[in-house]
Amino acid sequence: MSRQTDRYFSGIPMKSYDLLKEGLIMMMVIAAIIVVLAIIFGSPDYTPVRSQDVAARQPVAYLKTCAKALAGQSGIEGYGPPYTPDTDNAQDLFGVVPSELFGVTIPIHPAEDFVIAPLRRLAILDEKVDSALNEYLLAPPPQQKEWAAAYLGALDKAAFADRQVNIPAGEYGPVPALMDGMLALGKAGLLEGALESGPSLPYTMNFTKSLLFFQDDVDHGVARSLDMLGEQWGISHETGPYPGAWWLWPYTFLYQIPPMSVSPNGDLQAAAIMMVVFLIMLLVPFIPVLNRIPRWIGVHRIIWRDWYQRMQSKI
Amino acid sequence: MNLTRKAQKLLTENLSMEDALPTKMPVYVNSAAYLFGVTALSAFGVLILTGLVLAVFGPRWYHVSGAGHFVNSLHFWGVQIFFGSILLHVLTKFFMAAWRDGRWRTWFVGVLIFGVAVFTGLTGYLSQTNWDSQWISVQAKDAMNAMGIGAFFNTMDTAQVLTLHVAVLPFLVAVLVGMHLFLIRRDGPVKPFGMDAGKPQKRENGGEHEPAN
Repeated sequence: MSRQTDRYFSGIPMKSYDLLKEGLIMMMVIAAIIVVLAIIFGSPDYTPVRSQDVAARQPVAYLKTCAKALAGQSGIEGYGPPYTPDTDNAQDLFGVVPSELFGVTIPIHPAEDFVIAPLRRLAILDEKVDSALNEYLLAPPPQQKEWAAAYLGALDKAAFADRQVNIPAGEYGPVPALMDGMLALGKAGLLEGALESGPSLPYTMNFTKSLLFFQDDVDHGVARSLDMLGEQWGISHETGPYPGAWWLWPYTFLYQIPPMSVSPNGDLQAAAIMMVVFLIMLLVPFIPVLNRIPRWIGVHRIIWRDWYQRMQSKI
Repeated sequence: MNLTRKAQKLLTENLSMEDALPTKMPVYVNSAAYLFGVTALSAFGVLILTGLVLAVFGPRWYHVSGAGHFVNSLHFWGVQIFFGSILLHVLTKFFMAAWRDGRWRTWFVGVLIFGVAVFTGLTGYLSQTNWDSQWISVQAKDAMNAMGIGAFFNTMDTAQVLTLHVAVLPFLVAVLVGMHLFLIRRDGPVKPFGMDAGKPQKRENGGEHEPAN
């Protein structure tokens, strides 16, 4: 032993020990347990949401997502930093708005990025979409939004038959042709690629736009069917009969109780509480009362029961 | 200043061969509670090995290959055992107040490992390229954005989360685990409560000895 440990263990009886043997045995036992669990239970791998599936099976939901973006009603509209500059919806805690610190670092313009940009690509292949897009872009912005909003409203009365979405007649301008184009992109499975346009193509490994595109109605619908919504303990759930990230339960629990469950600043409040909890954990050796709890609750008497019995027998 | 001499001195004064690879242990080290640290370390070893295999074949492999799915299953259950062991390890060390007698550094680094491991786990979920990663990325982004972290950590940027998960964060965990093990072996296992009743003393490394009950 070193000078330090010699002094610390002075007078304490020692027993024979083999660190490497114990370590190797434990490693083999743990590895064996993991192999057995993997063989018996496997692991979850739930198929991702794909535009191809959504466009084919839920065309109305798909078109609503597109029309919302065009009508300025996307969930990202007015989200705040890092996507949009407006800060009305940015979360604050006691007047502090951390998301404002760095501003807009991932600019998203829902109508342009989610609908117009993909259609620009399709327009090269489809003259109908090309002329509809030109007509739409030449119209004044209020007119554009009016057409999109009217179409979005009409989707509530849409009928889906013979693989076609039929909407009541109305003043939609070129929007139906644009939406047909978006639906065609989705059915062809090309939407994700068209959304992730950028200078890094074809080496795109950033799926921000395609993930944000479906995050509202479509993803929430899937999550609801799998009991994975925020109010259902959200991301600490796993698909199927598998254990999830249960170590996040203290965090996801915060979303189940007020004020986090009802506040528009719930994410920031939950994060701040977890940071405080983590700091307390770090500093517990120095926090009066907390650092005495182990003595009071007495679990150490079970852990060191052999030692305490040995001491008793000596008395 | 001779850095090599200083390093030699640091090691010889803090970690003898018997400290690093002990052949004897105080008799009070006689409980299953002492096993959870090595259990966590073993699971971490499995995670590194299976993670290396998954990294070599790429993030899509396990979706299309039976062998890949099995390696992913090993990784998945390794994560469960790892966090289960960490939880039990932290709880037992708390019940033992294992930070006593100058061991607060060991506790401190251990809690840091837990924090970094949680973040590593999150990036793992985000890297799965399946429904889980889709849903968790759009859900987790709101918390990241609210804290301002979303400005430079984008949960939906698969390249970023994957790189963090397979390189940066495991390296950080490994470094912290190395520091944790060094401190554990340097100081040895803390004494049970009541062994030095009423005799507060200063340790050579500057840590204080708490008065025992």
